[in-house]
Amino acid sequence: MNCWTRRQFGCLAGAACLTALAPRVAKAQAKSRVVVIGGGIGGATVAKYLAASAGTIEVMLVEPKPRYTTCFFSSLYLAGMRSFESLTHGYEALAQNYGIKVIHESAVAIDPAGKTVALKSGAKLPYDRLVLAPGIAFKFGAIEGYDEAATEIMPHAWNGGPQTELLRRQLDSMEDGGLFLIVAPPNPFRCPPGPYERASLVAYYFKQYKPKSKILILDAKDSFFEQDLFQDAWTRHYPGMIEWLPGQFTGGVKSVNVKDLSVKTQGETFKAAVVNFIPAQMAGELAQQAGLADQSGWCPIEPTSFESKLQPGIHIVGDAIQSGEMPKSAFLANSQAKICAFAIAAALTGSDRFAPHLFNTCFTFLAADDAVSDAIALAPNGNTIKISEILISEVGEDAELRRQVVQAANGWYTAFTHDVFG
Amino acid sequence: MCAACHRLDGLDKGIPSIIGLDENKLAGMMAEFKSDKRKSQIMGVVARSLTDAEVADLAHYLATRQKGSERP
Repeated sequence: MNCWTRRQFGCLAGAACLTALAPRVAKAQAKSRVVVIGGGIGGATVAKYLAASAGTIEVMLVEPKPRYTTCFFSSLYLAGMRSFESLTHGYEALAQNYGIKVIHESAVAIDPAGKTVALKSGAKLPYDRLVLAPGIAFKFGAIEGYDEAATEIMPHAWNGGPQTELLRRQLDSMEDGGLFLIVAPPNPFRCPPGPYERASLVAYYFKQYKPKSKILILDAKDSFFEQDLFQDAWTRHYPGMIEWLPGQFTGGVKSVNVKDLSVKTQGETFKAAVVNFIPAQMAGELAQQAGLADQSGWCPIEPTSFESKLQPGIHIVGDAIQSGEMPKSAFLANSQAKICAFAIAAALTGSDRFAPHLFNTCFTFLAADDAVSDAIALAPNGNTIKISEILISEVGEDAELRRQVVQAANGWYTAFTHDVFG
Repeated sequence: MCAACHRLDGLDKGIPSIIGLDENKLAGMMAEFKSDKRKSQIMGVVARSLTDAEVADLAHYLATRQKGSERP
């Protein structure tokens, strides 16, 4: 067909007009830019969902590490049940499939008034909206003797990566009959069942290869999430191997000595072969520096948009935030990130907003063929976020049901990491 | 929300695909999860957190997705 239709002609004329008005129109129609700092679960999900759902927004993801290793499922690696590689994810698909500009650099400062982010190289990124997903920082110095240097001797392994590999090497080279000591942190902290799942899976490894070894958990708390499920599993799978001492019993950990691998409580000193010291936590460093955290050490947010209550125009997702009854988990970081992405898209482009729903499931391994799960629905409620329903696996469940949870857990990991990085 | 567990490209790797199913069938399954007629800890909680109108919108969206498409 060679004849011009009115419609095509209109476009052509429009194009000519656009050319004539180029500078002004280009400015008016320039893409909004969202800069996301932090390429963990929350940050990568915000970037992906913004780029996928709103083509008119330019998305930049700032993350120094070339690849991300998940902390969730890392205890399966410690137990020899998963490879390190299987926990590690790149950013290539986000760049190639969604056009996200991934910048492998550290962000060093935020200027909320000028709406720019300064990178380590000195470059400055202007933004219309900023999303921070800084994860957690550790309260070094809270316990005498445990500083950043001590992490090389007593790893926290509470960020996926070299720390996880270090702890695995230490467990591998530990002699049979040794003591593996876990120092469990005070609330709130990343992954509430995590320290106890770690004890379970390391016990699973010990049972096969180092059956005379013991595990001691020195807890800052007097109870922990899914305690009945864990203690039931420890009795069934690893009788006599795992001992848990609550804070009220020991008086809490007072100091550590990396030279002889000892941990001192109020009344006793424990010498171990391997120490996994999981420190008290707070929002990641950049959030602290930018004044986004309050006195609690965590970032308060508006529950329907995840916009900071302290700095308008800056959104925060993931483990760094604290709102109502929301636990710190990768699943929730992903859930928050989607609400945040839709809220930003609505603010910048006028796109539809959905009623925010948050959901969490933690799949927790007790042994290779025994896993439990929880299901938590949450929603904004006034100024905060509240749980509307929670269901948790129960003691005494059928072994077949537990095997099915193992299968679902592995399927979930594949689907979930694909949702974030794929 | 669904994509955190169910792959939106329709691949089934341990958790069933929910892509390209009949819209009414999907909404009916969610109603059964909601009432606990169909037993599932996780899907029961998910279904009860959604209104019937939200379930209908989701079922329509998922029914119209093609296997192999990646974008959420």
